Amino acid sequence: MSGLSLGEALIANQTGPDGIVSSWGVALTPVCCAEMESGAANPVIEFRDVSYRVDGTQVLCSLNLEVARGETLVLLGRSGSGKTTTLKLVNRLVTQTSGEIFVNGSRHSEVDVIRLRRGIGYVIQEVGLFPHFTVAKNIGLVPKIEGWKEERISGRVSELLQLVGLPLEIASRYPHQLSGGQRQRVGVARALAADPEILLMDEPFGALDPLTRDELQRELFLLQKRLHKTVVFVTHDLREALRLGSRIALMEAGKLVTVLAPSEFLKSDDPWASAYVRAFGDGLESAANRGAS
Amino acid sequence: MNVVRFLLQNHTQVLELTLEHLWLVGWSTAFAMLIGIPLGIAIALRPRLNKPVLASANIIQTIPSLALFGFLLPVPWLGARSDRLAILALTLYALLPIIRNTYAGIRGVDPAVVEAGRGMGLTEMQLLYQVELPLAVSVILSGVRIAVVISVGLATIAAAIGAGGLGEFIFRGLAMVDDRVILAGAIPAAMLALLADFGVGWLERRLRPR
Amino acid sequence: MTLSKASLGALILWLVATLSCSPSHGSRIVVGSKNFTESFILGELIAQQIESHSNLKVERRFYLAGTYICQQAMLAGRIDIYPEYTGTALTAVLKQNAGSDKAEVYQQVKSEYERRFGLTLGPSLGFNDTFAMEIRGEDARRLNIQTLSQAARFTPHWRAGFGYEFMERPDGYRGLAATYGLHFAEPPRIMDLGLLARALKDHQIDFAGGNATDGLIPALDLFALEDDRHYFPPYEAVPVIREQTLQQHPEVAFALAPLAGMVSDAEMRQMNYAVDAQKRDPSDVVREFLRVKKLVP
Repeated sequence: MSGLSLGEALIANQTGPDGIVSSWGVALTPVCCAEMESGAANPVIEFRDVSYRVDGTQVLCSLNLEVARGETLVLLGRSGSGKTTTLKLVNRLVTQTSGEIFVNGSRHSEVDVIRLRRGIGYVIQEVGLFPHFTVAKNIGLVPKIEGWKEERISGRVSELLQLVGLPLEIASRYPHQLSGGQRQRVGVARALAADPEILLMDEPFGALDPLTRDELQRELFLLQKRLHKTVVFVTHDLREALRLGSRIALMEAGKLVTVLAPSEFLKSDDPWASAYVRAFGDGLESAANRGAS
Repeated sequence: MNVVRFLLQNHTQVLELTLEHLWLVGWSTAFAMLIGIPLGIAIALRPRLNKPVLASANIIQTIPSLALFGFLLPVPWLGARSDRLAILALTLYALLPIIRNTYAGIRGVDPAVVEAGRGMGLTEMQLLYQVELPLAVSVILSGVRIAVVISVGLATIAAAIGAGGLGEFIFRGLAMVDDRVILAGAIPAAMLALLADFGVGWLERRLRPR
Repeated sequence: MTLSKASLGALILWLVATLSCSPSHGSRIVVGSKNFTESFILGELIAQQIESHSNLKVERRFYLAGTYICQQAMLAGRIDIYPEYTGTALTAVLKQNAGSDKAEVYQQVKSEYERRFGLTLGPSLGFNDTFAMEIRGEDARRLNIQTLSQAARFTPHWRAGFGYEFMERPDGYRGLAATYGLHFAEPPRIMDLGLLARALKDHQIDFAGGNATDGLIPALDLFALEDDRHYFPPYEAVPVIREQTLQQHPEVAFALAPLAGMVSDAEMRQMNYAVDAQKRDPSDVVREFLRVKKLVP
């Protein structure tokens, strides 16, 4: 990939072979991947004129959106903007009233919904770990029902725990014994267990304290560099969006307002975008910083 | 301690009546679980059905037990044997707590957990068996506990229609105007209820999700 | 989740254990009785007879509250024997109309019980405890009445009292009133059987539905009116026995055989009186009777 920033290079040198859990000697802000062109040839997810209406309220209105392979698309908006609904339309937790959604070229209403969901990782703010399962059983549930062998599952569990920066002995603990940050790491590990292509994340770090949130954002960024999943990430936090997103899709009142790369977002004239920037105050440049000017 | 002496002297009969009592309570609770738990699961998964089912169980609950025994007496196959009748009546009374608690237990599972499970691609049955039921077990058992305790009490009344059990001591004692006999029925019955409450309660606590 | 599996296993085990507690008893005979004096005297009689003529242990389950309860206990195998009356068995249990011939009624009950319930009858104990409509002795003498037909004329001036079962039974009050044209001014009072005789004596009622073997009849100078129209069926006392019990313990039949016809009306009244009025212990009264009749060595 061309155009590695100074920051990225420094990080690359500091991380060990496992990619994560190295000392954060230098407090560098992670920098997003080189900008991907929107509308890449074969979008992984495609929304065509999607609308959603429930109980007399128009939640989404004629949404048209494409998500390219390997990118991190952030759905940014305030509460009620429809961003979570958009996310849930992808794995059919919600069914659109009109319009079509395509996943990897197939109309997703024609695909078996269970198979669809097994191929999509889903991480939510409350995490939703199964309280009666150990960490290992939580992570290993989908592989188990997919029929993986025991050794393969335990191997995968160890692999994932390392990936999300958790010590291996945590595998036999129960969710109630973990901290919030640890729980969400397990949540991410669980979502990645069957190696899905797509990862949906609904404000996953919203309930965590700022320090933990910061930590997990950095780690997610590095994870994504390593795994190149197609991520759709919902947040109302512009800083988070600038940090993690390859593109930011700004939504307001059920409509897609604009889709911009982080650096463009800061400079944008669009009234909603600039309102957002103003609301978040200073220090956003560093979040979106792409290295040397 | 006349009662204690009486209980010891007549321990065979006390044991016999206790076993009869357990027979009535055991069968009716088993039937109530066999019918009530699946029904509770069904209405938890299809909430539209919940009003008629819960309402019916509620109505049954409000019928006074002796009256229900009386209603069922003329019924052909049932009324011929009062223990059959008693078991049916006790089953009906045990249904409401079991159905209601099964429903509440499943609906009470953390919605985030259910959403995560669904989003992961668990089928409805997998979600039920792997997630919802194990997490609801404690609440369901609490319904069973209530049902058992109610049944132990109602089974004493069943003796009035000849179904046997510890209530028989109570009614015989009343006819004989003999306190010891009355208590020989009442005390073991009360102890049975407490034992059941304690025993099932222990199981509930063991199975409660952390 | 092995822990919860184990716990659920425990629950199932408990259920299975209780479900296998089907009522049954080894080499014991359980004798039942209803909850009035005569019934438990007869129950005691049967029990002591079996105890003294066999090696069987006898358990007593007396004071069961009525015919239905006893019948159910027999069917469920909770009791093996209890004393019943042929007339009651015929009308209340078999729900058939009763004739007036003792032997016929006995046969009918025996064959029906054997056919329908797997129960059989032992020999009749002798007396006929039919319903006796009682009035005060002084009234009987003053008005010079001996039969129910004669008494019918006076009923508009009398208050009547009956036991609960008599009021409800098909062979009870309704049929009696119809047969003899009894017209009491007020509806009859429903009272406990044990209180009827005293209430009659104390002028609280003038006409009581008692039994022929009431111990208090001679004691309180009461008079039992004759059933000249033969309204009441015969009520011979018989032991009702489970056929299964007889098969397992044939010595029961041998033990009970000597009791046939052993108790006359007067003797039954005497035993009732001893327990009711003299407050003697029923087992003592029965033991004495058996000794006097030379039924025990």
